[in-house]
Amino acid sequence: MLKTFSIGGIHPSDKKISKDCKIEVLPVPSKVYISVAQHLGAPATPIVKAGDKVKAGQVIAEPAGFISAYVHSSVSGTVKSVGPRKDLAGNNVMHIEIDVEGDEWAEGIDLSEDIVASIPEDNKAILEKIKLNGVVGLGGATFPAHVKLCPPPGKKADCLILNGAECEPYLTSDNRIMLERSKEIVIGAAIMKQVLGGCPAVIGIEENKPEAIAAMKQAVSELQASEKGYDGISVMPLKKKYPQGGEKQLIDAVMKRQVKSMGLPIDVGAVVQNVATSLAVYEAVQKNMPLVTNVLTVTGDCLPMENQHNYKFRIGMPLSYIAEYAGGIPKEAAKIISGGPMMGKAIANLDATTVKGSSSLLYLTPEQTVRGVESACIRCGKCAEACPMGLEPFLLQKYARNGMMEELEDNAVQDCIECGCCLYSCPANIPLLDIIRIAKGDVIKIIRGRGQR
Amino acid sequence: MTQTIIWTIAILVILGVVLAVVLYVVAEKFKVEEDPRIDDVEKELPGANCGGCGQAGCRAFAQFCVESEDLDKCFCPVGGNDVMQKVAAVLGREVAAKEPMVAVVRCNGTCENRPKINEYGGYQSCRVKASLYSGDTGCSFGCLGCGDCVEVCQFGAISMDPQTGLPIVDEEKCTACGACVKACPKGVIELRNKGRRNMRVYVSCVNKDKGAAARKACTAACIGCSKCAKVCPFDAITVENNLAYIDFTKCRLCKKCVAECPTGAIHAVNFPVVEKSVKKEE
Amino acid sequence: MDRLIVSPSPHLHTKTSTKSLMRDVVIALLPAVIVSVLFYGWSELLVLGVSVASCVLLEFLITKYLLKGACTIGDWSAVITGVLLALNLPATTPWWVVFIGAVVAIGVAKMTFGGIGQNLFNPAIAGRVFLLISFPTYMTDWTKPAGFIGNALSDGYTGATPLGIAKEGGVAALEGMDYLQTLFFNIGGSAGELSAIALLIGFVYLLARKVIRPYITLSIWATVIVFSGIFWLISPEVYTDPVFNLLTGGLLLGSIFMATDYVTSPMSNWGGVIFGVGIGVITMLIRYFGAYPEGVSFAILIMNSVVPLINKVCHAKKYGR
Repeated sequence: MLKTFSIGGIHPSDKKISKDCKIEVLPVPSKVYISVAQHLGAPATPIVKAGDKVKAGQVIAEPAGFISAYVHSSVSGTVKSVGPRKDLAGNNVMHIEIDVEGDEWAEGIDLSEDIVASIPEDNKAILEKIKLNGVVGLGGATFPAHVKLCPPPGKKADCLILNGAECEPYLTSDNRIMLERSKEIVIGAAIMKQVLGGCPAVIGIEENKPEAIAAMKQAVSELQASEKGYDGISVMPLKKKYPQGGEKQLIDAVMKRQVKSMGLPIDVGAVVQNVATSLAVYEAVQKNMPLVTNVLTVTGDCLPMENQHNYKFRIGMPLSYIAEYAGGIPKEAAKIISGGPMMGKAIANLDATTVKGSSSLLYLTPEQTVRGVESACIRCGKCAEACPMGLEPFLLQKYARNGMMEELEDNAVQDCIECGCCLYSCPANIPLLDIIRIAKGDVIKIIRGRGQR
Repeated sequence: MTQTIIWTIAILVILGVVLAVVLYVVAEKFKVEEDPRIDDVEKELPGANCGGCGQAGCRAFAQFCVESEDLDKCFCPVGGNDVMQKVAAVLGREVAAKEPMVAVVRCNGTCENRPKINEYGGYQSCRVKASLYSGDTGCSFGCLGCGDCVEVCQFGAISMDPQTGLPIVDEEKCTACGACVKACPKGVIELRNKGRRNMRVYVSCVNKDKGAAARKACTAACIGCSKCAKVCPFDAITVENNLAYIDFTKCRLCKKCVAECPTGAIHAVNFPVVEKSVKKEE
Repeated sequence: MDRLIVSPSPHLHTKTSTKSLMRDVVIALLPAVIVSVLFYGWSELLVLGVSVASCVLLEFLITKYLLKGACTIGDWSAVITGVLLALNLPATTPWWVVFIGAVVAIGVAKMTFGGIGQNLFNPAIAGRVFLLISFPTYMTDWTKPAGFIGNALSDGYTGATPLGIAKEGGVAALEGMDYLQTLFFNIGGSAGELSAIALLIGFVYLLARKVIRPYITLSIWATVIVFSGIFWLISPEVYTDPVFNLLTGGLLLGSIFMATDYVTSPMSNWGGVIFGVGIGVITMLIRYFGAYPEGVSFAILIMNSVVPLINKVCHAKKYGR
C-alpha cells in the first residue's frame, strides 16, 4: 500500500505531456527585468541604480526584513532603470531593468558541471551561504529557505521531507530535475539534513513518476556508498492524489502527523522543502551559485508535441519572450497559467517576467477552463468529500456570503489551503474557493488582531 | 361527560394561571433597566440599520446619542439634519446642521474610454477580482464593475449602467451612509457634499499612474498635468501621485478647471445648461 | 480567443455537473421502470407518463411564471421526482390522482421552499404520503393489471402486499411465500417495489458512478436487519423475519433512491449513518406496531425533518483537530 494523506483529495487527470522533454537552456534576451518581490515577505531593497555595471550573480537587492531575501542579477550588463513595472497580475512592482552585455559571472561562482559531494561541516557558514545566495522555497510559496532551516528555539526537526510529489497536473519541471540532477538534489537534501541536526530525510514522489523514483533511489544508494553524511536518506513513493504535495498533506502522508490549526510544520517536527529548493541549496552551498535560474514547463493540450518544453530560464526574462521562443502562443489558448492548473495564477500580463518561483507557462483551452454557470447548491457534499483539510466548503461559502465571521472561524475557514479541490468538484459550479479565500483572509486578520491585543 | 368537560376546563385554567405567574416573576426578575430616552430617540431614527453612523444599528446609535456629551459627534446620514434636529429636541439639546453629502463615483472608465484587455472569469465580486489582479482593463486603479457597491446599498440608490459598466448613484435615494465607500476595494467612491443646488465639480478618476501610462489605459484618465491646480482661483485643487483632487470644502463651483482639463477627467454635474463650454453633463 | 481569460484558481473543473448526477439517478432507476412496465403494462406507462410530464411541466410553469427566475427543468431533478412518484404508486392509480401527487410533490414540497436544493422533504415521498392519506382506497388497490409479460398472477387478481398480509393475518398467513419471488418480480405493491434485483442494479450503478455514498443505504439495511432480527429471534411466530423485511415493501426503493436524495439527507458520513439508523428504526416500529403495514415513506419524511439538526451536530473530521 502506497502512503497518502488521510482526508479528502481528488483525482484530476495528470496530463504530464512534457515529462519526457529534456531540460533545454533558454538563451539570454537582450533585456531583463528583475523583480524585487520574488519571495514571501518584504520586497528586497534595490542597491543598484541606473548606469551601474552588474555581473551575473551579483547582488542587486538586499533583504528588507527578517522574512525577505537577496535578489541577484541573472545577467551581466548595465542597469537601465529601477522603477515600477507591472507583474503578471498587472500590479505595479519595483523592477530592475538591465541591458544585457555578454555573459560574465561574478567571482567565486563555480560554473563547472562537476558534482561536489563532500559536505562542508560548518552549519553556520552553510546557512549564511543559503541566505546570501537568495535561496527561497520553490514549491510555490517562495518562503526564504534559510528561515525554514533554522527551527525556533525549543523546536527540533524529526524529519526533513523533500517534496517531489509534483501533484499538479501538467507540470513536469520537478520530474525533469529529479531525472537529470538526481545527485545534486540528494546532496542538497544531505546538506539541509545536516543543518537541521541530522534528522532523517524522506524524498516523497508520486507513483506516476516511476523514472524519477528509480533515478532518485539510485542517486541515494550511489552517494551512500561513496561519501559519508548520506545515511538516513530514503525515497518514498506516494499515491497519485491531489494535493499530495501540499505541505500539510505531505507531512500527514509521510509522518502520519497532523499540523495543528494555525501551526507550523516544525511544531510536529517536520521541515518540508521542494526538490527544486534542494537543488538550489546544492548550487548555493557547493558551487556558490545564487538562485538566478530555475526550470519551467511550457505545456498544454493545445500545444503540439514538438512545442512542449522544459526550459532552464534565468529570472527576469519576459514571459512573452519565452512563449515566443517556445513556438508562440497557440490560437486555442483561452487562458495562460503560471504554475499548475489547480493553484497557479492566470496571467493577466504576458510582459511580466520570470521570478525565482516560476514553474510553468500552461495553455488551457476554453473547454477546459471556462467555468459553467452557477446553479443552486444541491447539497451533494462533494466539496466536503474532496477537501483535504476536512472542511465543509458549502457551509463556509454560505457563512462568507452572509458575513458571519464567528461561524467561519468556528468552522475553521482559516485552515483552508486554497488547493481548489472544492471548486474543482462542485457540480453546481459554485465559486466556493473564490468566496472562501476572501473570508479566510478576513478571519486570519481578526485572529491576528486578537493576538496582538 | 360533564365531568370530563369540567376537568378539562379546570386543568387549563390552573395551567394558565401558573404559567402567567411564572412569566410575571421571570419578567420582573430579569428586567433590564434602560434609559427610556433611548426608545424615544430610536423612534425618531429611520430604522434602516445601515451602520452609516458608525454604530451597529439604529438602536445602538440611539444609545450612543443619549450617552455622548456632544451631539455634534453623532450624525445619522440617512435621516440627515431633520432627524438630528428631532433627536436634539427629544434630548433637549442643540445640534449644528451638517452639509448633506452624496456618494460620488470617481471613475469614467467606460467601455470606450477604457478598453478591456482581458476577460475576467471568476466570481462576480469586486473584492475577489481586486484580490486576484489589477482588473480587466489597463487601469489598475479604477472601477472593476462587478457591483459590490450595488450589493451593499440598502436604499437601492446604486445601479450598474450596462452601457458604461460603471455604477450610477441616484442622488434622490442616496443617503450618504457610506456603505458603498467601504465596499469598494479600489476606493473609487467618495462621499462629497451635495453642493449648492446639487451642483458639484469633481475629478472623475483615481488613477495614480504617470500621465502616459494613465492615458494609455484610459482616454478619460487624470494625467496629473496640474493645469487645473494652476487655474483654480481658490486653491481647492491639489495634485499628488499624478492625480488631481478637488477639495469640496474650498471649491466654489467656478468650473475653470473643467474647461482646462485636457482629458475631460473633471466633471461638473447638475449645472444649468447655459454655456456651451460645459462638456460633461450627466 | 481575442482576449485571455483571467480568473482565480483552480483553472480546471470536473466534468460532473448537477445535470449529469441527476441523469445518472434516472439511468439507475431504469431497470426498475422497465420491470414495472413489463409487468403492469399500459396502466403503468400511463402513471409514469402522467407523473413525469406533470412534474416537469409544473416545475417549468412555477419557475417561469410564479418565481420568475431561471428555469430549472434542464437539471433532470423534476424527472427524478416524477419517476420516483410513479414508482411509489400502484399501477392502477387514476391519472388525476397521479397529477395531484405531482402538484404536492413539485408545487408544495419542492417549490414553496425555493426549488432545487432548498426543500426540506423529499418531494416524491411528500407526494406519495399526501396521496396515501387523502386517497387510501386508490393507494391500496393492489389489483394487478395486465402486463406485457409474466402471467404468474392471473389478470384482475386482487392481491395484497406481503406486508399487508402479515399485518392482517400475522406471520402464519405468509406460509408458502417464496423469497425468490420478491427478488425478481411478482409481488403485490407499488410499481417500483416489484423487483429487488432491478433496484439493486440501480444501487450498484449509483455507487460505481460515485453519485451516492453507501452509508445511508447500508445503515438502513443494517438497522432493519438487527431490529427485526432481535424481535424475530424472541418470537418468530409473531414477528416477520429480517430477510422478509429487507426485501418487501418500499424498503429497497426508499433506502436506495429516496433516503439518499442529496438535498434531504445529511452531508457528512456519520450524519448519514444516524439518518439511516433513524429511518430503519422508525420503519420497523411502524411495521411491527403501527396501524399501517408499511412505514418507509413516513420514516424518511420524519428523518428528513431532523436533517438540519444532524447537519449541525455531525461534521467531517478536520485535519489537525
